[in-house]
Amino acid sequence: MANYFNTLPLREQLIQLGQAEFMDSSEFADGVNALKGKKIVIVGAGAQGLNQGLNLRDSGLDVSYALRKEAIEEKRASWKNATDNNFTVGTYEELIPSADLVINLTPDKQHTAVVNAVMPLMKQGATLSYSHGFNIVEEGMQIRKDLTVIMVAPKSPGSEVRAEYLRGFGVPTLIAVHPENDPQGKGWAEAKAYCVGIGGHRAGVLKSSFVAEVKSDLMGEQTILCGLLQTGSILSFDKMIEKGIDAGYASKLVQYGVEVITEALKHGGVSGMMDRLSNPAKIKAFELSEELKDIMRPLFQKHQDDIMSGEFSRTMMIDWANGDANLLKWRAETGETAFEKSTAGDVKIGEQEYFDNYLLMVAFVRAGVELAFEVMVEAGIKPESAYYESLHETPLIANTIARKKLFEMNRVISDTAEYGCYLFDQACKPLLADFMKKIDTDVVGKNFNEGKDSAVDNIKLVQVNEILRNHPVEIVGTRLRKAMTAMKAIKTV
Amino acid sequence: MIQMTEPFVHIDQLTIQYPPKMVLNDLSWTINKGENYVLGGKSGTGKTTLAKAIAGLIPSDGRVSIHFDPTLPLSPKVHYISNWYQFTNLEGDRNFYYQQRYNRHQGQDTLTVKAELEHFAEQENLDFADIADKVVEIGFENVQQSQLIELSSGEHKKLQLVKGLWLKPQLLIIDEPYTGLDARSRVVLNDWLDELAKEGVQLILITNDQKLPSTINRFAYIAEDSRLINVHGALDFPKDNKRQKKKLPEFLKEVPQTDYDIIAQLNNIHIRYGDKEVLKNISWEIKVGEKWLLQGPNGSGKSTLLSLINGDHPQAYGHDITLFGNKRGSGESIWDIKAKIGMISPEMHWYFDQNATVWHTIASGFYDSIGWFIDVKFQEKKQIIELLEFFDLIKHKDELLHTLPLGKQRLAMLARTIIKNPPLLVLDEPCQGLDSEQTKYFNDVVDELAQHGKTLIYVGHYESQLPSCIEHRIVLEKGEVMTNVGI
Repeated sequence: MANYFNTLPLREQLIQLGQAEFMDSSEFADGVNALKGKKIVIVGAGAQGLNQGLNLRDSGLDVSYALRKEAIEEKRASWKNATDNNFTVGTYEELIPSADLVINLTPDKQHTAVVNAVMPLMKQGATLSYSHGFNIVEEGMQIRKDLTVIMVAPKSPGSEVRAEYLRGFGVPTLIAVHPENDPQGKGWAEAKAYCVGIGGHRAGVLKSSFVAEVKSDLMGEQTILCGLLQTGSILSFDKMIEKGIDAGYASKLVQYGVEVITEALKHGGVSGMMDRLSNPAKIKAFELSEELKDIMRPLFQKHQDDIMSGEFSRTMMIDWANGDANLLKWRAETGETAFEKSTAGDVKIGEQEYFDNYLLMVAFVRAGVELAFEVMVEAGIKPESAYYESLHETPLIANTIARKKLFEMNRVISDTAEYGCYLFDQACKPLLADFMKKIDTDVVGKNFNEGKDSAVDNIKLVQVNEILRNHPVEIVGTRLRKAMTAMKAIKTV
Repeated sequence: MIQMTEPFVHIDQLTIQYPPKMVLNDLSWTINKGENYVLGGKSGTGKTTLAKAIAGLIPSDGRVSIHFDPTLPLSPKVHYISNWYQFTNLEGDRNFYYQQRYNRHQGQDTLTVKAELEHFAEQENLDFADIADKVVEIGFENVQQSQLIELSSGEHKKLQLVKGLWLKPQLLIIDEPYTGLDARSRVVLNDWLDELAKEGVQLILITNDQKLPSTINRFAYIAEDSRLINVHGALDFPKDNKRQKKKLPEFLKEVPQTDYDIIAQLNNIHIRYGDKEVLKNISWEIKVGEKWLLQGPNGSGKSTLLSLINGDHPQAYGHDITLFGNKRGSGESIWDIKAKIGMISPEMHWYFDQNATVWHTIASGFYDSIGWFIDVKFQEKKQIIELLEFFDLIKHKDELLHTLPLGKQRLAMLARTIIKNPPLLVLDEPCQGLDSEQTKYFNDVVDELAQHGKTLIYVGHYESQLPSCIEHRIVLEKGEVMTNVGI
């Protein structure tokens, strides 16, 4: 199978990469009608599969689950998930032939095997749905020409997809139709109906393409989302230990700090996050982040280039074929870092203290979000797509670190994200060696404001604020966040 | 023996303010050894704040001194059991939704009751054998393997009580001890408190209830000017002013449109979680206009049964259930169902959006959402204002719901429930935590509403405190129907 993106002429590559339209709520007036009375069969009953299915059924649609024979016979977790909620469960052979819509919600790595098993069983003219386009775009999976291929990708973990739906809201969602597979022209209607069925239309929907989704998703996850949060966390912890900060305190600050800091990012963007600092601290964080942006820009560009050329997925798929040798080795190494082995101390850290004593992480987050966004947009990805794959998802990943540190983050995220994260981390740490030598506990571990008067130069402050607020990620973010008015605050402290 | 003459608790001119509000002003109070208090009186007088200050949960500026007795074999501690519990999942998250306990998935979200108790025992150095009998007596033995998220509101209350009483602190403060408890458990609790008192535990109970442990020997309330007034008994507590009855808004006098005769028809329903059967062979028919009372001990399956009717239970699919003329699973969405139901429950209240103002809370009733996301239309706005006035909430309309006294919160939740004038009202323990005056007012409103063609399902524990419109009764015990009759 050839990389689909690389088979396209440049003109077509640019069109598909640049597909990003924030949809008006009037486009969803038809509700779930396009799927009403149709047979929907979901393959896979993990967190996404189960929770999306619960929502679709609660929206009045006919949902059942197709699982592999062994999963049913051995009554595995996926079988229990589906049967405990009174869904019909059957084998591929039993359920796929009558399905009008087959939703593939298995992990990326299984897509080729799953689609190869499912496709011959699908009836003429049915629809196949993905929630991530890697299989189509990078692996170049060819789908039967009579089938329609769509993508509906909620930008949240499965549990949130369910919780928000039951609150009467939803999570931001990205939808797409594969241009090579829309023989009846029904793709968009079905993708929209599916999106309504899981509640996504209430929180903002981005009309995207398989290509735009894959190239931006890969970039976001391996740079700012996972890569930089990992690098920043490890370097911060090591620095504090080196400078004699109590290990329990350092561990807690790092584990929970990113969550608290990025909660501000979620509600108010980069400027909202920076505004949580005092004026002198904000200027310091600004200066550090400017420096970080200069140092890391070539690395971000290299990641984007490798993603565009297909080099990243090629090497990763070699590792897949090699039984994940590299992935498993790097995962074990992450488990051995001092931070991972530390235990959060039984100390109380106030919400504001996480900002004041962890200014370095604020600088890392600003640099990473802006860099990822800038590099994606330079590469032809639209600001809307770039926003979702950088700023929007950062708090979600930070939340996994707060749960069980980096190991948990890497376990929860996709295989592609985890692989890319390690690549980034390995390259980034040496790059930052000189920068870190200058770092002291005033920006990580202790309150930056202590012993300083809070005076700042007027003009300097105005300039800094202006640069922060006028960054394109802030402009597009303000607009997209308006559609998410009901965004839930996470209790972070 | 100077120690003996020292008071157990001494509060000297305690002032606590949440600007702009002064909650306690120069309050002084002395509790001597052997005195077991009930703190009662009107809502909003600062009882909970005072309790938290004694327990050291809010700063008291050194105005509270407690002299523990080192000779007692009891832990030299003050333990406060809150009226409002909060638990976290394994990762310290508290973002739950009220239907979560019905959604089954294999990943564990929260600790089991057993694990929670073991964790508590380890933390506090306690021995489970000490309460093994009590756990059985209070009807809590069957939930050991349940996750915290699966507990009903009454069971959660019991968990808080079991932990607090197990601890045997020298001073035990319980805020609204009887809220949500079934009749049997109340008796068990009072006996248990009497036993502890004999061992030297001193009590402060915050309640206006009159069925109290016999060890209670002091009664007090906080007056308007923050003075602590001692009275002879619970009957002497000042009561909240009788609410002036107002005219029911016109829109609530309209009989809701129904093109079906039967609201809900459930036939032979079984609900299982793994091996545990929580509802066994339940059949129930509710006709348009009927007023039902649903009763049963804590954990008997009441809320689960209601969740089958209001669209909250995933296992409703595949069962023989007909709602509002449509067979369940025939293409209706849960939002179609919820549009016809006004619902209130302790769980929904607990997990309600913390950012919602009173206005948003009521407005969300138009969309059946937990929290408010859409601009309301002109007519809807008018209805909200009418209801705010009806319930005397107009001056609180922009305040956060969860910062109001509980009685007012419940009224706002009731307003949310009726704002769309739905054909069916499902009121699951709507008066939990309200005193008898507030409850009477609430039930009077329900009675008045009921006159206008609405169907009602009401869950309440005490026969004495029910709306008078009730005409049918269904009683559950251990998931089975015991009684299903007209009254």
